[in-house]
Amino acid sequence: MIERLMNLDRRIIFLFVFAGVAVPLLMDFSFPIKPTDNVRAVYQQIEHVAAQKDGKVLISFSYGGGAAAELQPMARALLRHLFAREVEIVAISLWPDAVGLAQAALKGMADEAGRKYGTDYALMGFKPGNSVVILGMGQDFRGTFPTDNFGASTDTLAVTANVQSLADFDFVIDLAAGESIDHFWIPYGQERFKFPLAGGCTAVMAPDLFPFIQSGQLIGMIGGLAGAAEYETLIGHADKATSGMRPQSVTHIIIIAFIVLANVTFFLSRRRSANTTSHQDLA
Amino acid sequence: MIFLRRTFPLILAFVVGVIGILVFYVPHSVAQALERDLAKWFMIIAAFAYFLGLYSLMTLHWTRVRARQPGWGYSLVAYLSFAVMVVFIVYNDGHGPFHAQAEAGGYQWLYLNVYVPCTSSMFSILAFFIASAAYRTFRARSPEAALLLLAGLIVMLGRVPIGAYISDVIPDAAQWLMAVPNMAAKRGILLGVSLGAIATSLRIIFGIERAYLGGGEE
Amino acid sequence: MILLRLIASLTLTILVVSPATAQLVSSVPEITAFDTPDDAGGSITVTWPPADHVPPATVYRIYLAESSAGPFHLAAEIDAGTSFQSEDTAVFGFAEENANRHFAHVKSYAGDNGESSTDMVTGRPYFVRLVVRSPSGELRGAVTTAVEAEQNYFKWSKLNNFLLGTVFSIIIMLSIALARRRELYIRRIPGLEAMDEALGRATEMGRAVLFIHGLRDMAQIPTIAAVNILSRVARRTADFDAKLRVTNVDPIVMSVSQETVKEAYLEAGRPDAFNPDDVFVVATDQFSYAAAVQGIMLRERPAAHIMMGGFFAEALLFAETGAQTGAIQIAGTDSYTQLPFFITTCDYTLMGEELYAASAYLSREPRLLGSLKGQDIGKAIFLVVLIAGVVLATLDVSFLSQAFTAR
Repeated sequence: MIERLMNLDRRIIFLFVFAGVAVPLLMDFSFPIKPTDNVRAVYQQIEHVAAQKDGKVLISFSYGGGAAAELQPMARALLRHLFAREVEIVAISLWPDAVGLAQAALKGMADEAGRKYGTDYALMGFKPGNSVVILGMGQDFRGTFPTDNFGASTDTLAVTANVQSLADFDFVIDLAAGESIDHFWIPYGQERFKFPLAGGCTAVMAPDLFPFIQSGQLIGMIGGLAGAAEYETLIGHADKATSGMRPQSVTHIIIIAFIVLANVTFFLSRRRSANTTSHQDLA
Repeated sequence: MIFLRRTFPLILAFVVGVIGILVFYVPHSVAQALERDLAKWFMIIAAFAYFLGLYSLMTLHWTRVRARQPGWGYSLVAYLSFAVMVVFIVYNDGHGPFHAQAEAGGYQWLYLNVYVPCTSSMFSILAFFIASAAYRTFRARSPEAALLLLAGLIVMLGRVPIGAYISDVIPDAAQWLMAVPNMAAKRGILLGVSLGAIATSLRIIFGIERAYLGGGEE
Repeated sequence: MILLRLIASLTLTILVVSPATAQLVSSVPEITAFDTPDDAGGSITVTWPPADHVPPATVYRIYLAESSAGPFHLAAEIDAGTSFQSEDTAVFGFAEENANRHFAHVKSYAGDNGESSTDMVTGRPYFVRLVVRSPSGELRGAVTTAVEAEQNYFKWSKLNNFLLGTVFSIIIMLSIALARRRELYIRRIPGLEAMDEALGRATEMGRAVLFIHGLRDMAQIPTIAAVNILSRVARRTADFDAKLRVTNVDPIVMSVSQETVKEAYLEAGRPDAFNPDDVFVVATDQFSYAAAVQGIMLRERPAAHIMMGGFFAEALLFAETGAQTGAIQIAGTDSYTQLPFFITTCDYTLMGEELYAASAYLSREPRLLGSLKGQDIGKAIFLVVLIAGVVLATLDVSFLSQAFTAR
């Protein structure tokens, strides 16, 4: 029995994980969500920008379809907050497959808030090069993005007409599934041009960013779906991230239960081996 | 030929590398203009890499289809999928290929309703694999492993609302683990990796490291 | 280039003062105006101490003119109690008195109609005046002598960065030179020592060795390190007559890998055994790559999986699938977030710098060993600075931590 448990067929584990994700999605229950300091810092910075006249925020979409489940709810929550506080938004993309996601999020949230393209927000589209795009924007935003994603000249859009460089943004947020925050935005952007920068990332990347928060290079961070749920709590609008906490909580408990089971069987197996060895010695 | 394959790339790497370092320290407008131009050239080269990737992929799959290699049906699917996407890109919701990307249309529909679910599904497999890997390997074989296991359990519970529901100490403990010991370890690795990256970059700039030219030894 | 640093004479000029303000702000502070350092021109910096007895809602206004007689145009407005020099360490450093002086970097001033703004011109002389405006009146200070914005040739705020970089570069180059003269010690890296075991096992079983590149492109350091390791692996498989398959996600990495494997087979005297189709791009997208490589692992059942480079979420997909097939797995990555997954699922893992050290370890080439030694010396210096900095900072002595602060 112990041997069978030690070498449990992984398909049984897969079945439990599947149930742990599927069943809570079909049920309705919730746990209170307590926002952490890192997420609260991002919220407060947006409130600070909103209190200024003509506040402008740059959002960089640096993720693809794979991380959309974690980062798209985060994007929606941020955009909902920015649109509600009437902050102007300029969106760019450092990943080619982020443009469609950025477009969907911007349109959805803008329509909800009654905001107008060109006046309240703009999507500049994708440019290849990562670090060089950031360097280019830092010196000459219009030269890097002469037109928006739909072909309109940057000069003709009210929201970008007065933007010369990254220094003209009051806040920059990078939503990243890869290394764009710590490998590109911080060394080539924040260190050079000294603008307030925050990051939204997948949960697995979050530990990477703590040194930069501690040093002040990032003013805050939203980590994974849990971070997005915290942000939804702060803005008072529960959406997909909050409902995603149900399956995430249950699945974490299931994985912990399996780990405990694995360790119990491991120790039982070790004790049995020790007993068998001592019996053989006596014999 | 040797000059074009070996010597010229090395000279180019040295010159561009040194310029790239110097413009960081020189604020003069000439240096800044040079940096802007270099950035634009790099963006153009990076864009060409996409064409190169496309050509390589199409050639690979065509070879498989033509030679009827095992799994050639999947290569055919790759070609068909590519063709369908190209059709919708060219059609561009009725505006044609020379108009800027349309906001709606078949391309956007395929992207959001086919491509994104497919990639999300692949990403979601990780949840299952993490569970099976954790079951197989997260065993307290030693005191250090037990400590690591305990920290992992605390962070797993602390990062979801159920942790706070069980006890307020759990999310605070998880946050401390992330912000102190994890950050210290991460910073140490970051320092070491950054030094390694500087050393490798210097070797490339001065032509000591030539692996990127291909061919192993010089 | 000489920075023009002018100090205005202290002149008490009272234009409009109500009896109530006679007890409040009584004089305009002495201002200092100079070219903003470390820039491409078009900006001057004005600094001044707080005025005496500053009431709430007091603002400081900086006015510029192209002639000492005016007209003066508004260039900056600073609220009292804000904008202290200590907030801009890049220009002003860490002196304690910075917390008691205001500053403003001025790049433009209001046009004649008061609405549009005019950028400052590099090389043109401007005259500066400070005005203290409180709810009950306005005090105008004296006009400075002419100050010009200039282009600078070196960012002095980055001097510590420049010196550190230069020192470290010299250490690396000297170490490389030293390595050519004598053998340098490098510790065991178990993952690399196991490489031969893995390749030998594949040969005995008559199955292939699967080399999996990471997601990064050829310009990235871990990919370069991976290509170096591939060169050694290819040489070994050529010697052992084992089949080598190399998967790539980037076509440029594929081209370089093909050349590398071809050269390795040539060196081993086995050019006939090289098949360019064995080094191929499976997909250019992350999860397509993951799916394709998993398929190869499950169908072809290679005996050894060698995963080297920069990985992201697909790392666990590779490693866990590979563990299912029973292959021996050796991984190497500098992706901090993927290391736990590799460590739990692979037989050997090269962590962070061990990946970079791998090419030196396998080849024992002096230039690579020397570079490694230089890195170690750099790390030793950092360790000493860290410990000393922590001790000094605890004793409230901050010069060392300031010297290493990026400004």
